[in-house]
Amino acid sequence: MNFNPRYHHTTTQLQDEQLIIEAAKQNPEHFGPIYDKYYKQIFGYVYQRMDCKDTAFDVTAQVFLKALTNLNRYEFKGVPFASWLFRIAHSEVMQLFRDQKNKRAVNADVGDMKNIYEEVQEPFFEEYIPALQKMIKDLPEEDLQMIEMRFFEQRPFKEIAEILNITENNAKVRMYRILERLKKTITNYKI
Amino acid sequence: MEPKFNLNRPKISDEEINEHKDFDKLVKQFKRQSIEKAKSDGNFLKNKKATYATVIAGLAVVCTVTYFTVFNKQNKQTATNDKTNTLNTINKAKEVNKKKNFIAPPSQKLNVPYNSYKVNAQKGGELAHHTIPMAIGTKIKVPKNAFVNKEGKEIIGDIEIKYREFHNQADIIASGIPMTYDSAGTQYTFESAGMFDVKGYQNGEEVFLKQGKPLTVEMNSIYTDDSYNQYYLDTVNHNWQVIKHDTPLTVPTAPPENKPAEKAQSEKEIQLVKKIEHVPIQIDSVKTVYEKKITALPQPKQPNKPAKATGRPQFELEVEYKDFPELAAFKNAVFEVGNENKNYTKELHSVTWSSAIVSAGPQKGKNYLLTLKTKSREEKLIVYPVLTGADYEKAAEVYKKKFTEYNSLLDKREADEKKLKDEMAAKQKAYLEAEKQLSAELLKEQIRMRRNMEAQLENQIKSHSAVQNVVRVFQVSNFGIYNSDCPRSMPNGPSVMAIYASAADGAKLSPSYIYLVEHGRNIVFNLTDQELRFERSKDYSLCIVADGILYLCTKEQFANSIKDKGYKFALTPLAAEANNVADLRKALEI
Repeated sequence: MNFNPRYHHTTTQLQDEQLIIEAAKQNPEHFGPIYDKYYKQIFGYVYQRMDCKDTAFDVTAQVFLKALTNLNRYEFKGVPFASWLFRIAHSEVMQLFRDQKNKRAVNADVGDMKNIYEEVQEPFFEEYIPALQKMIKDLPEEDLQMIEMRFFEQRPFKEIAEILNITENNAKVRMYRILERLKKTITNYKI
Repeated sequence: MEPKFNLNRPKISDEEINEHKDFDKLVKQFKRQSIEKAKSDGNFLKNKKATYATVIAGLAVVCTVTYFTVFNKQNKQTATNDKTNTLNTINKAKEVNKKKNFIAPPSQKLNVPYNSYKVNAQKGGELAHHTIPMAIGTKIKVPKNAFVNKEGKEIIGDIEIKYREFHNQADIIASGIPMTYDSAGTQYTFESAGMFDVKGYQNGEEVFLKQGKPLTVEMNSIYTDDSYNQYYLDTVNHNWQVIKHDTPLTVPTAPPENKPAEKAQSEKEIQLVKKIEHVPIQIDSVKTVYEKKITALPQPKQPNKPAKATGRPQFELEVEYKDFPELAAFKNAVFEVGNENKNYTKELHSVTWSSAIVSAGPQKGKNYLLTLKTKSREEKLIVYPVLTGADYEKAAEVYKKKFTEYNSLLDKREADEKKLKDEMAAKQKAYLEAEKQLSAELLKEQIRMRRNMEAQLENQIKSHSAVQNVVRVFQVSNFGIYNSDCPRSMPNGPSVMAIYASAADGAKLSPSYIYLVEHGRNIVFNLTDQELRFERSKDYSLCIVADGILYLCTKEQFANSIKDKGYKFALTPLAAEANNVADLRKALEI
């Protein structure tokens, strides 16, 4: 399973980004390059979790507005600015689900489902998909987020950790436990 | 609640995602939000009247309406009042509309564009706006010193007035402006005698009207009845507020001036100009970022070359290396007296000096100032650190090595600096390229606007003799949307359950907006479900929005559909070539 490298930055890229952010703190017009750079990623993150495209675009706009509003509170911690944006997006999306629970959606491809089976070392056939869908839908929200980020969005653990504001090791341990539980359920379902 | 699971959902194209990217809008929202924050902090409009605050709040709500659409809790919907079928339908419309934007144009390209005019804030003035089918243009009278900024301070300089009018059902549909009116709990739909939207800006920042300095808008209207009232659209409370009865003034229909309104600009043109004006800021931003990076590059320090003793008179001195770190390489150095010292004599060596102080010389790092003192005498000499014999050879070796290192660091720095400068130039070039493209697009748009304006004027000249105008005079105390309207009930005819289907293949359509256009009156009923009410003696056409596509059912198609008791309305998508509201009007046979 390959993980998406779009998030990773070299030291120079991080420094460039930081300079832009410092400039944007003085003048919001300078925020443009950051907006251009991350708009698609943030929209992707939001839309991945919901059904309605228009709502996803609205939430994305809200995420950037919040980021710009709170930019003076942002402190560089040696990771891409995206981690802060993802955290805002995560919070906005969660708030939306709390207010309108029917909006929560999970979006995956058959290939993503197959990856889960590979990870728990179980053979995969497409007939298993409905059962796995049910298992995923039954997961607690926290576990669902982990599965979503790892398997449906192909995010590396480092990035998952930064979005959820936990350590990389903690993210790995959590994932291990979720997969253990999923493996057990898969075996119990005899699929 | 259990989440919905979508398997293999089609991906959204980059083009579609990019269509929603709007950095200017974000910055604008941010600035508006700052205004709102300032207001809530209590520093805003300290001494101003409530009227004024209403305008600001209105603007703030316009900008945050998306937020509320997303986060609005659906369980707060008002219970429907089903006293009559008409009310029932309208209340359902209200419920559905709560989930949508308050002002929701069905298509951006069909929306009625703003025209932009400039007026000097101190001088005021009179602006002329021309709209089809008016023979005479609307006058916007701006008093002197009528504008204030968000802090309530009077503004000087040029003000951009953005203005647009809505005179027919196509304009109403295209603008997405809600036309329902709540009068003491009863819902009506407005029949319009004309509507306008006016805003003010300075350097992209919204401005406000000063209390007691209203604009006077003399809007021309082809609806000459005396049965209309004036209303203001309250975007905070989502309703229309009645202002007063609208008494029309009859005017002689003089032919329009035979010249296009040169100052008028389309919204697209304004946006393009803004983007072009933004390019220097972007270029400047790149420059700032790269200059900081270049300054931050490490600057190698050139090592001091050791000097060999030349045989000039010397002093042996003990020097604190922490004060002169450059001397660290000159271990065992002695200080030779420089040729420039005219006060030097051999006698100086025989004096017992009470202190000998070394400080930085005129050539920093190369020579030093030796101050010799007794109680009654002081001599100052320029001295040079030199080495002799093996000490010199050793220091020369160290210098050679350090100089090589220095050169290589210098080369690296120069290469890094060049790389950064190249990167900066490439980025700036990309912005300039983008600017070129935007300028070309702007030129095209200006040509298109010019042609439109000429066509409008031609049309006006042709039609002016046939159109009897009245003038409806509005006192505009706050920027926003104003309307001369008469509330009307839903058609007093049979109520049927309509089925909307594609004329091409009969596939059922699920409309997000349904507009029933009544011909003969300037009214559009906004329906929200299958229930459709009409009067058989009148002509109607339908316009719906389904999956983002605008479909039409012409007068003839409508008449045929109501003959069949199935009430299946066949609709045809608006032609792809339809690019503006005039095309929609034509398609609706208005």
